[in-house]
Formats: sequence, C-alpha cells, structure tokens
Amino acid sequence: MRSLQKFSLAFALFVALAVNGSLSFYLHQFFSFGNASNLLLPVSMMLIALFDDTNAKEIWLALGAGVVSDIYSFGIIGIYAVCLPLLCWLLQKIARFLPEVFWARILAVLVAAILVDSFTWLVLNVTGLSNIAFTSLLQSIFPTLIWSFIFAAATYRLWWNLARDHPFMINLENYR
Amino acid sequence: MKKFLQNKKLLSACIIVVLIFAILGGSVSMRNKRNTPMIIQSFGNDVVAVGARIIDFPLSFVSGSLNNVHDLMNTQNENNYLKSKVTDLEQTKTRNATLEAENKQLKSALKLKESLTDYEKIQASVISRSPDSWSDLLIINKGTTAGLHKNMAVMSGGGVIGRVVEVNAASAKVELITTSDKSANRFAVEAQAVNGKKVHGIITVIGNNTLAFTQAVDGKKLKRGTKIYTSGMGGNSPKGLLVGTIATTTHDTFGLSDLVKITPAGELNDPSVVTIIKRKVDD
Repeated sequence: MRSLQKFSLAFALFVALAVNGSLSFYLHQFFSFGNASNLLLPVSMMLIALFDDTNAKEIWLALGAGVVSDIYSFGIIGIYAVCLPLLCWLLQKIARFLPEVFWARILAVLVAAILVDSFTWLVLNVTGLSNIAFTSLLQSIFPTLIWSFIFAAATYRLWWNLARDHPFMINLENYR
Repeated sequence: MKKFLQNKKLLSACIIVVLIFAILGGSVSMRNKRNTPMIIQSFGNDVVAVGARIIDFPLSFVSGSLNNVHDLMNTQNENNYLKSKVTDLEQTKTRNATLEAENKQLKSALKLKESLTDYEKIQASVISRSPDSWSDLLIINKGTTAGLHKNMAVMSGGGVIGRVVEVNAASAKVELITTSDKSANRFAVEAQAVNGKKVHGIITVIGNNTLAFTQAVDGKKLKRGTKIYTSGMGGNSPKGLLVGTIATTTHDTFGLSDLVKITPAGELNDPSVVTIIKRKVDD
C-alpha cells in the first residue's frame, strides 16, 4: 500500500472532481446568481502547483486531471486539459519568487481563476457549444472570484499537507 | 523558414497549438456525431460517476432533509389546494380510463400497433452538473444498461427539460432545453391556435436562456397561456410532451417575423429526479 502513497494527490483530485460536480448541482441556485463557475478542481490543482513547485511531474497530474474532468463535465477534451497543465507550469515558475504566505498564494490563485473562466468562455464560444455574450463573462468574474476564494481558503490546508507529505510520483521513503 | 524550423521551442509551441485545436475539433465532432462515446471515454465517465454517486449520497441526504422541512412548512397550503382538486380527480380518472380503452379498441380496429404518442418512461437521478453556468449539462445515473439512447427527451417537474446528448454504460449527459449550443437538436413542437388549427414550429433559445417558438407560420394566432407540446415530428421524441406555455407574442427586432416567447413547464433549476422518455414507434 505504501507504494500507492505517491498517487495520493491523484486520488484526492479524483474526489475533488466528484465533489465539484455534486456541489455544482446542489448549489446551482447560488452559482447561477451572476453566472459563477465552480472552479474547485482548478483551484485545487493551482494550490498543488504552488505548494510543490519543484516537482515537474505535477504537470502530468494536471494533464490527467484536465482530460478526465473535460470528458466527465463537458464531453469534449480541450478546456481543463489545456488550461490546467499551462497554469500548473506557470504557477510553478511564479512560486519560486512568490512569498510563501497564504495571501500571496491566494492572490495568484484568484488571478489564475480569471484565466480559467475566460478560457472556458472562449472555448465554449469557439466550438459553438454555447453562445455567451462577452458581458456575461465580465459579469461572471466577480462571483467566480468569491467562490474561488472560498474553495481556496477551505482546502488550502488539505492541499498543503498532501503536497508536502505525498508529492505526486515521488517516493519519499527514498529520502528517509 | 529555416530559422523557424531550427528554433525548437517555437516549433514545439506551434505543434502543441495545432494538436490542441485538432483534439478540440475532433472531440466536438465526435460528441455531435457518434451515438455512443469511445469505450475509454465511456469507462472514464462511469468511473467518475461512481465516485460522484458516493459523494452524492450524504449530500442528497442533507438536501432531502432540508426539502422535507420546507415541505412540512407548506403542508397546510398544499393540503387546501389538493382538497379542491380531489373532486375533479376522480372524474378525470374515470374519463381517462374510458378514453384509453376506446383508444385501444380503435387502434386495434385500424390495426395500428404503435403511434407517435406511445412511449415508455425511465426514472433517473441527477448526480452532477457542469461546473460552469454556461454549458447547461446534467449527469444522470442511468445509461445504456437501462435502455437509454442519444437524443431521448428528458422531463422533470411536469415538462420537457432537455435531451440526452451522451450515453455511457451507467451514466448519461443531459443537455438542457435552454442551451445555446448551436449544434443541439431542437424540439419539434405544436400548439392549438385560436381558430382551432394546429401551429407547428421548433423550440429555439433567444439570448439569456429564454425559450421561443420559432418557424411558426401563424404565430399571431397563438394567444398567451396556450400550452405547447412536442409534435413527435423530429423523429426523436414522442408526441404530446408538455414543453411550456406561451408568455408573450411579439415581433422580432426587425419587425418581420413573430416572436413567441415561452415559459418552460419543466423544472430547470433543480431537477433532482428526471424521467427519460423512450419513444416506442420507430423513426
């Protein structure tokens, strides 16, 4: 079982994906107010990237999480499968000179959340799966930021512990 | 060109962008054209759906308890309303049974096996929803094993709410009727005009999740409050499913054609349980 510990983050993201869908359903009345997006999974991946910034394998985790999430949530590949690895790479680069404090990381996550929301809007419009006005995107940004802040603050400690104790595809036993 | 080919970083970036567009285009095309997704995709969907069902169990318990409290608070009003309907109900049931028997006899006399109004119902629970408010997708806990197929109509709260767009073995995706997806199959509908004639058209979404009865020849003859039903003409859904009622009849922005806005009859905001309609008659 110990050999599976290096996949703890992958399993936790799988749970986050399932929770993401359920929360979107049960809290739809709140999310639909201002067309907010539920970015629990992307926020989780962003926090992991910020905490474990030296692990290049996190990008593969982001790609896997993105593909599975795209297939399950949208039925197409190319929304989270593109923006999660890109943001993971970007945040890992930023994390090297970002202060290792809660507010600095939250700020980085919120900026990245705007990028995810905008990219989702762009892909849905380009592929014709939705026809959403630009004003609708602008209206959605503020409520999405509020929800992203709630998710980031609520799961901050969890992802910090997981990324520190069980980094993806790294067997910490080798270092002990 | 030679410089470009020698710059490995730039070349890799270009290849990745092309690859992303190819995957995106391919997956959208596959979503629209294929009746069932690829086995690997279907398997992935079902695995996450199992996880979602486990997560859904405690959440639905809490949500159900809160709804029960709300229902309890409305009991008196509901009881008074139902009492007023009880007298009518018995009479309607008797009349319905008589008409059903007569309908059966007439069908057998005409040697009609199945007609557009015949359908079967499959009950399912909603386990997830798309994370953004724009794509209007629900994920339900029934799939091909329960007899679901792509393009079946889905009802909740007494009216049509959408259509099945992807079917896996143990889960399926439902696209709501309010979707602005340009490639979505639209419902062929009909309504009775003031002069007693049937007006045919299709359901379209006109900005901000508003439904409209379009491509109708005599839209002006439809008055407010008229009920709109599926006509069964699209080849996917049966005839006689309630879609909504007419809210307003105006002209479009150019003043050239009638614009008939519809209030949906189905529960679009919180459809926890849905009914999938399986049309009996073949296309």
